[in-house]
Amino acid sequence: MFHWLEKNPFFFSVGVFVVIAFAGLIEILPNFAEASRPVLGLKPYTVLELAGKEVYKKDHCIACHSQLIRPFKSETDRYGMYSLSGEYAYDRPFLWGSKRTGPDLHRVGNYRTTDWHENHMWDPTSVVPQSIMPAYKHHFTNIADIDTAYAEAFTVKTVFSTPYDIEGGVKLGTLDEAKVAALAEAKVIAADMKNQNVKDAVTRGEIPEIVALIAYMHRLK
Amino acid sequence: MEIRELQAYANFFFTVFLVFLLYGYIIHLYRSEKKGERDYEQYANIALNDEITDAPVERNPKTLDKKEKGGKIDE
Amino acid sequence: MQSNAALEYDYSVVKLFTYTTILFGFLGMLIGTLIASQLAFPELNYLLGEYGTFSRLRPVHTNIVIYGFTLSGIWATFYYVGQRTLKVSIAESKFLTIMSKVHFWLYFVGALIGVVSLLLGFSASKEYAEFEWPIDVVVVLIWVIWGVTMFGLIGIRREKTLYISLWYYIACFLGIAMLYLFNNMEVPTYLVAGVGSVWHSVSMYSGTNDALVQWWFGHNAVAFAFTVPIIAIIYYFLPKESGQAVYSYKLSLLSFWGLMFVYLWAGSHHLLYATVPDWMQTMGSIFSIVLILPSWGSAINMLLTMKGEWNQLTDNPLIKFMVLASTFYMLSTLEGPIQAIKSVNAIAHFTDWIPGHVHDGVLGWVAFTIMSALFHMAPRAFKREIYSKSLMETQFWLQTTAVVLYFTSMWIAGITQGMMWRAVDEYGNLMYSFIDTVAVLRPYYTIRALAGLMYLTGFIIFTYNMYMTITASKKLEEEPQFRSPMA
Repeated sequence: MFHWLEKNPFFFSVGVFVVIAFAGLIEILPNFAEASRPVLGLKPYTVLELAGKEVYKKDHCIACHSQLIRPFKSETDRYGMYSLSGEYAYDRPFLWGSKRTGPDLHRVGNYRTTDWHENHMWDPTSVVPQSIMPAYKHHFTNIADIDTAYAEAFTVKTVFSTPYDIEGGVKLGTLDEAKVAALAEAKVIAADMKNQNVKDAVTRGEIPEIVALIAYMHRLK
Repeated sequence: MEIRELQAYANFFFTVFLVFLLYGYIIHLYRSEKKGERDYEQYANIALNDEITDAPVERNPKTLDKKEKGGKIDE
Repeated sequence: MQSNAALEYDYSVVKLFTYTTILFGFLGMLIGTLIASQLAFPELNYLLGEYGTFSRLRPVHTNIVIYGFTLSGIWATFYYVGQRTLKVSIAESKFLTIMSKVHFWLYFVGALIGVVSLLLGFSASKEYAEFEWPIDVVVVLIWVIWGVTMFGLIGIRREKTLYISLWYYIACFLGIAMLYLFNNMEVPTYLVAGVGSVWHSVSMYSGTNDALVQWWFGHNAVAFAFTVPIIAIIYYFLPKESGQAVYSYKLSLLSFWGLMFVYLWAGSHHLLYATVPDWMQTMGSIFSIVLILPSWGSAINMLLTMKGEWNQLTDNPLIKFMVLASTFYMLSTLEGPIQAIKSVNAIAHFTDWIPGHVHDGVLGWVAFTIMSALFHMAPRAFKREIYSKSLMETQFWLQTTAVVLYFTSMWIAGITQGMMWRAVDEYGNLMYSFIDTVAVLRPYYTIRALAGLMYLTGFIIFTYNMYMTITASKKLEEEPQFRSPMA
């Protein structure tokens, strides 16, 4: 029987496949429904926050920053309450990261202000003198892609039934409505900023990447 | 039955089954060599004598040049 | 068909993939050295404007090394080993010849576009699966074509039994196919909403589920790209170069099945103390330890193949490369399980020990094996002897030193940082702010950057040696059987 398998490439491949697929079937699939249940009161991301998440993904912040606080005293002292599975229910993709060259960001919204982020993204060493993080000055000039962020929100609402447009929740509406809402959100953040280009852009109705990114940072709590 | 429980049973029995197969395979490897049915170590020579003109360790009967080869099929 | 006298193995695709292995190897290591230097000297982040920051370049580095260098190496050797151990020339089938060419060109163009897309910031932001959906579609297509050529070649084989290397190539094919497909399940947002970027997509899985799928993929992508096919390579090239049959062919078969079964379970060790169920974490830990057995089964088998022939180690630098690679394989397959023990992982996770572990595997095991395979194939494919033995020796010692420097500095850096994060004073307060734990690592980052530079220099020597071998070295009348001729 064994030798027959060794000489029949097709059945051999089937055998290999069964053996390697087994772990995935047992480990991953059956847990799916349970792990994706949101914690109580969790709201989906607003369009502006999603646009900020796009910036986070585009510049690949997960290369250095995690979003996962492990249940150790040393971590909860440093970053706050340890992370719960249900807090990530609307994260597509998850952004836990695997390396902390910089600190964890899962609850950064609790302890950093717009002002802090603005200075830090413009020049990290001005806030943290020994920092090795690069400056992200291009976030102050590049315009955030609100259309794509809306497309993402619309997609998760349609395909995965993410609860947008429910009472007391986050309103999505049409593209135009979403743009207006995003701009209103952006104005609040820009009011706390001092960079003139950013302020001007928001007045013109454009949202620089930095504003979206800060909105996303504030959302992480 | 709850899905978790099912998962555990499936996992346990399939793992036992595979371990069983693996040991069976070990026995098969040594026994077939001892009984002289099949010398597994000879397959190592597939890498050493791999010129296209070298005689295969075991010729594939379905091969293209079935007609023109002189060698016998060792089966 | 014509008589065997005129029949020869067709190395044209082998040659093409050899070129891309070298090209992507150089690019990947160059960027790797650059980003390593950026951690030691942050000013280097501004060489290319927004495209040159550490964060933007890091996925470019990993993707070029995995999908550029390693895959090219795997395919260069596959088209070589595949033909030879099946004793069939790809030229015997017109269809397969064409498909193998299509395979190469589609891959090359796809890889280039993929790299550019990451530079421009089109990223799904899942590690080692960063390519956005249009690239994923191309990857799947390339994979299917590889399957066609592989099983096509097997279908017309003269050798009835598949050599162990082919087992591993088949496993690589199936494993990556399954993992890549499931992990990259995503919904292109443009197709649903009709606005925004065409490139953008959202993952089919959310949060913890996504993490589970991702690390089931991430861990096993390492298994099926950096372990399985590399074992395939060494199982052919070490015996062939040394003229020694594999020490125990039976052991190689057993290790194969052991590895196939155990490896897949170990993925969740990337998520210890995360929000995935406890039993999965424990399972990941236990299976990671068990994984030592089949891994060492292969490695020891390789080392014992040299039994009675250890003198070759001193006079053939190619054997030196391969034996050292097997040794590094043993090292990193011991190190990995140690890191997967929960209490060790509590310290090691998120620190530089992890990149350290990855690199003693990739630099020491994967790259050494692939480079030695390219060296071995060159005299056969290009019909010239290897240009310089002394350059090979230089490269060997330079790169070996580099790997040792790399992992030792990262061990120290990782454990130092892990300990500092959790250090508390007598009142139970945290002793160090985060930035203290970064500042203390600067010397180690500098050593690591230096190690990267040394390894890169070694690779440039390799490239030069290969170039001269291909273009200017002494011509060979006939194909050498075992040991590769070198000047």
